[in-house]
Amino acid sequence: MGTTFIIAKREFRSNFDSTLAYVVICLGLILLGFVFFEFGGGFWQQDRASLVQIFAQAPRGLSFLIIPVVTMRLLAEEKRSGTLEMLITLPVKDHEVILGKFLGAWGLVLLLVASTLLYPLLMFWKPWDLGPLDMGPVYSGYLGLVLYSAAAVSIGLLISALAESQTVAFFITFVVLFALHMVGSVADKMPTPWLREAISFISFDTRLVPFAKGMINTRDIVYFASIAVGCLMAAFRALERRKWA
Amino acid sequence: MSTDVMIEANGLTKRYGAFRALDKVSFEVHRGEVVGFLGPNGAGKSTTMRILTCFISATGGTARVHGYDVFDDPLEVRKKIGYLPQRAPLYGEMSVWEYLSFVADMRGLETSTFKKRMKNIVEVCGLATSLGKDIRDLSHGYRQRVGLAQALVHDPPILILDEPTSDLDPNEKAEVIKYIQEIGKERTILLSTHNLSEVEQACARAIIVSKGRIVADGPLEEIRAKSGRVRYVVQVHEKRVFEGGPAKKAPSAEEVQAALEKLPGVTSVVELPTDDRAHSFQLAGAQDGDIRAEIFQLIVSKGWLLLEMRREAQKLEDVFKALTKNDERRDRGRPIVEDDEDEAEAAAEDEDEDEDESDEDESDEDESDEDEDEDESDEDDKKKKG
Ligand SMILES: Nc1ncnc2c1ncn2[C@@H]1O[C@H](COP(=O)(O)OP(=O)(O)OP(=O)(O)O)[C@@H](O)[C@H]1O
Ligand SMILES: [Mg+2]
Repeated sequence: MGTTFIIAKREFRSNFDSTLAYVVICLGLILLGFVFFEFGGGFWQQDRASLVQIFAQAPRGLSFLIIPVVTMRLLAEEKRSGTLEMLITLPVKDHEVILGKFLGAWGLVLLLVASTLLYPLLMFWKPWDLGPLDMGPVYSGYLGLVLYSAAAVSIGLLISALAESQTVAFFITFVVLFALHMVGSVADKMPTPWLREAISFISFDTRLVPFAKGMINTRDIVYFASIAVGCLMAAFRALERRKWA
Repeated sequence: MSTDVMIEANGLTKRYGAFRALDKVSFEVHRGEVVGFLGPNGAGKSTTMRILTCFISATGGTARVHGYDVFDDPLEVRKKIGYLPQRAPLYGEMSVWEYLSFVADMRGLETSTFKKRMKNIVEVCGLATSLGKDIRDLSHGYRQRVGLAQALVHDPPILILDEPTSDLDPNEKAEVIKYIQEIGKERTILLSTHNLSEVEQACARAIIVSKGRIVADGPLEEIRAKSGRVRYVVQVHEKRVFEGGPAKKAPSAEEVQAALEKLPGVTSVVELPTDDRAHSFQLAGAQDGDIRAEIFQLIVSKGWLLLEMRREAQKLEDVFKALTKNDERRDRGRPIVEDDEDEAEAAAEDEDEDEDESDEDESDEDESDEDEDEDESDEDDKKKKG
C-alpha cells in the first residue's frame, strides 16, 4: 500500500505544478456556477430548493473538460518520455502503479466535486441561508458523483495506457465520455425496445438521474463500480504488455 | 543467496516481432566486479539491462540478480539494484530534491537515512547548487547527474548504469568514473558506455556485444590480446634530416611508408594525421615479435630524423572495432569483405560460426524467415572470404 500511496501523492501534486490545472479548475467552477444559476431555467426558477442542476451538469463539466486533461498524461506521457522505465524499475508492482495513478487522478477530481459544495453552502447555510434543504438527494447525489468520477477516471486511465501520446489519449477519452453522456438522449428515438434498454443501460446520464433524485439503486452502483474495476484491470494488462512487445 | 554471483544471465533471447535483439546472451558478474558492457549502437545493451531490471521480459532464457529470478521475484531484484536508464528520463515538473526524496520514499528509506545519504550523493554527483531547481530546467548533463543520484540513493549492492556519462562534461565524467572505481570495490557494477577509455580506467573486465550476441567477455588484458597483434607508432621529421647522415633531403611520406612496409613482420602501415612537421605512421605487427630495433636501424641507415617511436599492445578500441566490424559494415550497406590486416576479425568470425551452428540445431521450431535470410547472408560472407 505504501508505494501506491506515494505514487498517488506524486500524481496528485503534479497537477498543481502547471498553471493549466488552475486555469481549468477556475474555469470549471465559473462554468458550473453559471450553469447552476442560469442554465435551463436555472436555480431561481425551480420551485424547490435543490441541487438537481449541479448533479445534472457537474458530471458533464468533469467529463468534457477536466477528466480528459487529468487522465491523458497518466501513462501515455510517461511511456513517451521514458519516465515509466524509471518508475517501474523502482521496487513497485505494476498494479500498484495503476492504482496509484488512478487514486492520484481520482483524488483531484473528487477535490473538484467537493468544491461544488461551495454553492449549496453559500445558498443554504451562510451567508444567504435560503432555508432548509432536503438533505437526502444531496447525499445520494454526491455519492453518484463520486461513483461516476471513479468510472470516468478509470476509463481515461485505460485510454492513456493504450494511447501512444497524450494528445491522442485526450481526444479518445473526450469522445468516449461524450458518447457515454449523450447516448441517453438518443435512447427514446430508438425503434426497438431492446435497443432502448441497451442504450440506457450504458448511459451515464440515465444512471445518474436516480442519484440526483435521492434514489440509490444497487444496480447503478454496480454499474459504475464495475466500469472502474474493469478499466483498471485492463489498464494493468496494457501496462504489462510492454514486457512482451 | 550468499553466492558470489550477483548477476547471472543465462541464454537470454529477446525478439521484437521477427527481429532478434538478443540472441542467447549468457554471462556472470561477481561481487566486487566492475564490468564494462560494450557494443555498437543497437547491439542490445539497453535491452539486456532492461531485462535485468525487470522492465521487460526476455523471450527466452533466464536471469538471476542477487540470487533472485528476474521473472519470479522482480520486486526483490529491483530492491537490490540501482538503475540508471539511458538518457535518464525524469519527471520534469519536480525539483531535484523532490524527485530524489520521491525515489527514497518509494524505496522505503527513512527520512533521516535519506538525508545522511544525500550528503555523500550531492558531493559525488555535484548537485549542491541544483537541489532546488526544477528538473525540466536542468541541462542534460545535470539531468544525468540526478539520474545517477537516484540510482545511488539506497546504496544498492548492484548498480546497472546505461551510459551514465554520455552527457557529462569531462570534469564530472572523471569524478563519476573515479566514484565508480571507488564504490566498485565492494559492489557489483554493470556499466554500458561508448567511451572505451572510461572502461579501461574503471573496469577490469568487459563484455562486448554485437548484433545481440556476446563477441568477447573477459578481463581487459585478455580482450586486448585477442587481436594477437601489437602496433607501433613511428614519427619521422618532414623537413629535416640527420646531419652528417646519408640523406640530403627530407623524405616524402610515400618513401617512408614504402620503407616501413618492407620491414619483416609488418602487416600494415597506415599514415596518421599530423601537422606539417612530421610524417606519422601506425604499423601493425605480430604480438610475439618486437621490430623496434629494425625500425630504428632502418631510419638510421636512411639518415632520417626519428621524432617518436613506441610499441603498444592493441588498444581496446581497435579490438572493439575488429569484433564489431561486420555489424558496422552491414549498417553502412557495404559489402562484408575481409581486408588483409584483420586476423582479429577472423577470430571473431570463428566464434560466430560456432554459435551459428548450435543455433541451427535448436531453433528449427521458431526460425523465422528473416533469421534464415540473415544466416544465408552470413554464409555468403564466409564464401566471399574463402
Ligand atoms: N521496443 C522495441 N521494439 C522494436 N525493436 C526494439 C525495441 N527496443 C529495442 N529494439 C531494437 O533492439 C535492438 C537493440 O536495442 P538496444 O536499445 O538494446 O541497443 P543498445 O545496445 O542499447 O544501443 P545504443 O548504444 O544505441 O544505446 C535495436 O536494433 C533496436 O532497434
Ligand atoms: Mg542503449
